[in-house]
Amino acid sequence: MKQLAPLTKLVFTVAVSIWAMLLTSLPGLGLLAVAQVVTLAVCGLLGRTYKGILSLTGFAVVLILVQYALGSELEAAIAGGLRMIDMATVFVILLATTKMQSLTTALVSQCRVPQEYAFMFTTALRFIPDFLAESKAVREAQACRGYTGKGGIVRRFTSYLALVGPLVLRAVSRSETMALSLELRGFGAGRRSFSTDVGLKFRDYCTLLGMIALTAGFTAGRIVYGW
Amino acid sequence: MLEMTGVSYHYQPGKPAVDNVSLCIRAGEFAAIAGRNGSGKTTLTRLVMSLIKPANGQIVLNGVNTSSQSPGDIARHVGYVFQNPDSQIFRDTVASEVAYGPEQLGFSAPEIASSVAEALEKTGLTALADVYPRSLSRGQKQRVTIASALAMKPDILILDEPTSGQDAKEKESLLRILTELNEQGKTIILVTHDMDILARYAKRVVVMASGAKVFDGPVAELFAQGNDIRKWGLRAPAIMNISRKLSKYGVFPVLTATELSQQIAERVQRGRM
Repeated sequence: MKQLAPLTKLVFTVAVSIWAMLLTSLPGLGLLAVAQVVTLAVCGLLGRTYKGILSLTGFAVVLILVQYALGSELEAAIAGGLRMIDMATVFVILLATTKMQSLTTALVSQCRVPQEYAFMFTTALRFIPDFLAESKAVREAQACRGYTGKGGIVRRFTSYLALVGPLVLRAVSRSETMALSLELRGFGAGRRSFSTDVGLKFRDYCTLLGMIALTAGFTAGRIVYGW
Repeated sequence: MLEMTGVSYHYQPGKPAVDNVSLCIRAGEFAAIAGRNGSGKTTLTRLVMSLIKPANGQIVLNGVNTSSQSPGDIARHVGYVFQNPDSQIFRDTVASEVAYGPEQLGFSAPEIASSVAEALEKTGLTALADVYPRSLSRGQKQRVTIASALAMKPDILILDEPTSGQDAKEKESLLRILTELNEQGKTIILVTHDMDILARYAKRVVVMASGAKVFDGPVAELFAQGNDIRKWGLRAPAIMNISRKLSKYGVFPVLTATELSQQIAERVQRGRM
């Protein structure tokens, strides 16, 4: 997976989402989820991503229970949960196997996405782990000053300001610094070049053909056999 | 006062961040924890604050095992000052920022007012009590965080690289405050890799390397270790290196500029230099 070009992985992300929408049977959706987890394991990334996958599973269980409680049939509720896992796990694969710089290059040079939008997208993605680390640092700093987050709803809400305040202020400060730093290094100055090679190789064409074949197969299966 | 016995902690299996460390910090000490980046210094202090729990061993604070205590419980006895003051500052004025900790610990209104006033006075921030804290300099912000910790009336103050990003004047001012607090009976634990600060202010040094405690003793003894300190990612302070170079004039290795200038003055007076 790591050897594939970013564009191939972007297409893979879209393809998996389409497959998840095409498949309606529980075994099919379950198999798609298992196949993605196996892909992560084969790439040696399961150790790094298992917490995220477990969180997704937990969220899927909640989603299933909510749907079921709101009157959906159990099978439909489980299918909804599995579909969510399928569509979210593929993003985990994409982000775990692709460098942000390569993703930006692919979006700009191959998908013709304007540079500003592509950069905004990848920066937002990169910001998530930074934000989580920042959140942990703030939580620890306030815990050492007696913050617990316990008590009634009002107390919890007001005490939460001790976490939100520094987080927001630091995020604003960080984005200001980043914007200045980018401008000072010529961002948006005109025509730019890329140092990353994101061109498609033979293996990418084979993978793309495989994905087309699978999509056609799933579509036929859905129409003919009602998968 | 603070006793760690056989404490270990792992962020990843098989890679101990803190490995079987035993340590006793007595009341009124001014101790420094030194070591290269990733040596386990900060992890050790995070363990003390119960931000993380030891995989093995125990930590006893004022006779109480901290294994079931939260960071909030520990905060009544130990004030922790983080490296980056922006991680905690969120209120509109310096005084209200400093009051946050005592409020969380349930101090009464008069107690909060007096502890805030005392903490601001000890850190030289009384005149800035009504200022928006984020508009202060890095050194002043760091003093706000120290005041925030002091207002909770802890016996021990742990400071993680408190002088990073500050100019010489701000560093000097901050360390003078810490020295005064120590003289008033507060136990100070300073996490640093600034050897000049360590040499000038700490009485005792604990050196961490690869998660293990490799040295625990007086500062002068640390710098007499020769090549070992380089192995641990440390270096002798500039004054010690200069005094060593002057040994041909009979100058003894010393740790501070004052000691060196005294020796030089003596030798000049006796006509030996």
